[in-house]
Amino acid sequence: MAQKQAAKNNKSQLLLPQALWQKIGANYLLTNDSGHYAWLKEKDFALVTAGKMAEKDPLFAELAAKGFIRNRLDFNDLAAKWKKKNAYLYYGPGLHILVMTLRCGNKCLYCQSAAAGLGAKHTDMPLAVARKSVDLAFNSPNPGITIEFQGGEPLLNWEVLKNTVLYARKKARIAGKDLKLALVSNFSLMTVEKAEFLLKQEVSICTSLDGPKALHDKNRVSSSGSSYDDTIKWIKFFQARHDKQVPEYRVFKPSALLTVSRYSLSGHKEIIDEYVGMGLEDIFIRPLAPIGYAWRLWDKIGYDAKDFSIFYLKSLDYILKLNQRGVVIREKMASMMLDKIVNFRDPGYLDARCPCGAAIGQLAYNYNGDIYTCDEGRMVGWEGNDLFRIGNVFTDSYKKVMNSATTKVCVVSSNLEAQPVCARCAYKPYCGVCPVYNYETQGSLWGNMPANDRCGLFKGIFKALFMLLKNPEKAAILKKWVAK
Amino acid sequence: MKKQENKTIAVRASLKDQNLDVVRYAAYAVSDAAYVFIKPAGKRAVALEFTPKSAAAAKDLLRRFKEELADEQKRAAIFASNRDLREFMILKALAYEEIPPSGQREDSGLTPEQERELDALIAQVESEIKKESFGKKVKDPLGITRTWEEKYGAKTGRKK
Repeated sequence: MAQKQAAKNNKSQLLLPQALWQKIGANYLLTNDSGHYAWLKEKDFALVTAGKMAEKDPLFAELAAKGFIRNRLDFNDLAAKWKKKNAYLYYGPGLHILVMTLRCGNKCLYCQSAAAGLGAKHTDMPLAVARKSVDLAFNSPNPGITIEFQGGEPLLNWEVLKNTVLYARKKARIAGKDLKLALVSNFSLMTVEKAEFLLKQEVSICTSLDGPKALHDKNRVSSSGSSYDDTIKWIKFFQARHDKQVPEYRVFKPSALLTVSRYSLSGHKEIIDEYVGMGLEDIFIRPLAPIGYAWRLWDKIGYDAKDFSIFYLKSLDYILKLNQRGVVIREKMASMMLDKIVNFRDPGYLDARCPCGAAIGQLAYNYNGDIYTCDEGRMVGWEGNDLFRIGNVFTDSYKKVMNSATTKVCVVSSNLEAQPVCARCAYKPYCGVCPVYNYETQGSLWGNMPANDRCGLFKGIFKALFMLLKNPEKAAILKKWVAK
Repeated sequence: MKKQENKTIAVRASLKDQNLDVVRYAAYAVSDAAYVFIKPAGKRAVALEFTPKSAAAAKDLLRRFKEELADEQKRAAIFASNRDLREFMILKALAYEEIPPSGQREDSGLTPEQERELDALIAQVESEIKKESFGKKVKDPLGITRTWEEKYGAKTGRKK
């Protein structure tokens, strides 16, 4: 009956089956749930939305192939692309963050990790908590489990960390799961002995590098002199070991995270050059989140979304210029977004998923066994609000944690279909909202996207990437970043 | 129709050619710039009161609202025409299982030699079954082992 009605009405047959759009300059960017996109001139957009585009129009075939013409849908192709892009919906949490201690020798201006002084040994995670956390992590149905050791400075609780690495490896063998181990450290307590253990156990290493020495040390204040010197020394060590692979185990390339403070805004070239100089091939340009210490010092080190957008776009432009000169350097945020846009693939970026990765993609285990939806949720807990606490490893089962009211509300509030602005946004197929960010900045898990800085920032990045993809030379570089 | 009283900008929107949701979503889209209050204005219209959050935000407010309203009208039309189709597509995507490309055999975990042995064994058993049943009159008074076509012939036409 419905088919007959549609057949009678030729116009409605040519209507868009489902589409999201954004006017950029004189053109329209058209996207759909499967992740396809197309650029349309204003007159073509008017024809398509009115259902009046002629079949002989050269654009018709392109739009039909991408699922924008209602009576030319390739259901299998669209379903396959949608499922590939949203594969994470079929697994449980893959990322498990263990906070080995809150103690840290550094006092970074923007610290979001609720760091405590070196004397606060009561904030070290006991071995029993660590093992229980690993047990709970392995209850996730996800076939791939990543355990990330964080802090504070996790090396301050070395014996427990070491034991937990071995315990997790054993659990993975028994469970038949793929286990990835990662350490986030400032390297202030790294030794050759510790490094050798981590390398042999195939623990990937990540640190923070905020740029040249003066900037890095200004942001990341160390009680033992220069935090930059430790960082550089060990990046070089792990780089050298990566370059000299051994047959017994894989040595991962070390990676670094950049946090942009107000002091960074005037030095994008110097920061990127520092990364290139260290032989790092990825730079993750992350904005400061107004959570933890950063929120308290926002007047001094914070900035608005517009400032960050300008910094980000200048950085991306410089990185592309370096690529044109043959330098291998990629911007991580762009890479992850491009993986979705170009490859219809989920890059595992939990902050930009629908629903977001809180609880269903990651869990954060505090030193005392409390489980949070994510590391950001744990930081809110440290500020005295346990809204994002969803259990404890000693008292709550995996099932109970997954079924907690907070888990559910995070899923519902970060479902973009239920977000009025997101559900209409051209970037929806590639984006995600953060209930913790919304709660901290706008006082509601849902937030208000038209006035949300994170939303403005993501929109700016997506717009820049789609514009760059229009340029064949730049598109070739960007596609190479995600060609693996 | 619009008027400006103090800082509030008042707009009237007809509900003859659009429903309330269209107006509501368009108004929400400009909620970064203004607080919006929507109230009934007769049977088939609503009155919107925009209170700009700043003088700068007030500048472009009406133009933005009108653009959002035009976009939302398009979205509503597309959504209304395709609701069932979209639900079908989402269900299909949720249930989609990737089929291995044709020609790609499922790995049985056997070596080629074991595969050959197994094939020979199956062929041998099939041949024995055939020999056993050959020449024997199998009891089948109800014709259960016979196909529909063998019993009644092929179909000749479609019943109406």
